[in-house]
Amino acid sequence: MSDDIFRIGADGIETDAVVARIRERVAEKMERGLYTDGRVARAERTNLAQLRDREDFLAFYLDCLREAVLVDINDFEIHERRARFSRPLVLLKRSIWKLLKFYTYRLWSQQNQVNGLLLSAVESMDSRYREKFDALEKRIDALERKPS
Amino acid sequence: MTQPVKNIAVVAPRFPEGPTVGGAETLLQQFALRLAAAGYTVTFYTTCACDHVTWRNELPPGACMTGGVRVLRFPVDEDRDLDAFLRAQQRISLGREVTPDDEQAWMRNNVNSRALIDALARDADGLDRVLAGPYLFSLVVRAAAVCPGKTLLVPCLHDEPFAYLSAIAELFRHVRGCLFNAAPERALAERLFGPLPGVRAVVGLGMDPFDSDPGATARRLGLAAPYVLYAGRREPLKGTPLLLDYLAAFRARTARDLHLVLTGAGPVEPPASLRGAVHDLGFVSEREKHDAMAGALAFCHPSVNESFGIVLLEAWLAGTAALVHAGSAVLVHQCRRSNGGLWFRTYPEFEEELLLLWDEPETHRALAAAGRQFVREEYAWPVVEARLIEALAR
Repeated sequence: MSDDIFRIGADGIETDAVVARIRERVAEKMERGLYTDGRVARAERTNLAQLRDREDFLAFYLDCLREAVLVDINDFEIHERRARFSRPLVLLKRSIWKLLKFYTYRLWSQQNQVNGLLLSAVESMDSRYREKFDALEKRIDALERKPS
Repeated sequence: MTQPVKNIAVVAPRFPEGPTVGGAETLLQQFALRLAAAGYTVTFYTTCACDHVTWRNELPPGACMTGGVRVLRFPVDEDRDLDAFLRAQQRISLGREVTPDDEQAWMRNNVNSRALIDALARDADGLDRVLAGPYLFSLVVRAAAVCPGKTLLVPCLHDEPFAYLSAIAELFRHVRGCLFNAAPERALAERLFGPLPGVRAVVGLGMDPFDSDPGATARRLGLAAPYVLYAGRREPLKGTPLLLDYLAAFRARTARDLHLVLTGAGPVEPPASLRGAVHDLGFVSEREKHDAMAGALAFCHPSVNESFGIVLLEAWLAGTAALVHAGSAVLVHQCRRSNGGLWFRTYPEFEEELLLLWDEPETHRALAAAGRQFVREEYAWPVVEARLIEALAR
């Protein structure tokens, strides 16, 4: 990512201009999909209350959420840092992981279903209200233009 | 001819002794000490409590002298109904509809001291001005009602549900005036309560210059990687969970070994992915705090509820750049005026700004230098004292 860094290089500085340029940069990177990332969605969970008035951000947040909605229980590399008994310990951990995966499969699949359903519900509410607001805005425009 | 102002009373729920007291009380204490040093007769009316959660009477009631200020301590009323207070507090803070009964219950069972109010009423004739704050304590509302024509409120106002209570609107409308910490705080008061009568001065808190060692914290922690600093109470309202979430995302997405150093009180619960990257120093001396500030890649203030942001000014004085949450009108205002810090609305902006500070030391230096210059010019004690004395005389 470091080749993609935004540079100022100024002696004196004007923060309004810097922030404006950062925002342009973020908007452009969002369009390129560089922030559509489950990690961003997770990072924003405590910031949502501050973002509720920003429609564009909600759309972006939903994109990130789509990336994060499924719980990942795929196998992963299991290591053992202790040199002594490393091989048997790794084997033991692998067996434990397999058992865990087997016994939590139902929970995992239900959780994924719930997450998916909740995301669909939020998306459908979002699109319904967007359509509703658009229609109302058009109607207000038309009423305002109408000669009294 | 108006009579010269000589005798000042200062009212606050606690008198800071030790590190556990909030910014508003520190502000009032500093006003008291500075005014006493300038030749005013200052009496500080406060309670025997130290803890802002339990409000237990821990200190003995009575009088003592501190730095030329006569401090009078009175017991907090112990007949408050804490359950009723917490129920009302919860309703209000959740933004639910608040009935007059809820408001009454909140005021009645809030922190009060009948002994303090009685003493202030007895002394009222001899007083020229009463400085009282912060606004969200019933004790302050009642103290302001003793002699509203002489009272200057030091509200430390935030845009929070408590500011919308009718008793608070009455308070702002009936006092002699208000001493605000920053222009956005005054704008918020005027938005909430309409045009305010009398004094509407922006005063703020003065800052003395200090020395710091930018390498001290890294040496103490054995830390070779850059770090972001947070100083203050750790709680959701101050934005610390947000900072932890952002740090975790930053480290995962950029693969850069950025650490977080925290000073202050309250629990920190970093996720497992941040193990080894979060360093909680807890309460530290002023010198240690300033060293931590001086060595940081950025001082981060993620709170959206600030009326002043003392630590932001300290961080600038220590020579570091700041990153603040764009939701705080006051912090953004200070960053704009000083050109000493950047503000973020979302994680992507936070990431871009941190990368900028990381990769461009000259930008970091320019921000830090502008911030330091701003504090030296705007918040040097002689400048603040002149604003305070002028507001008292009006």
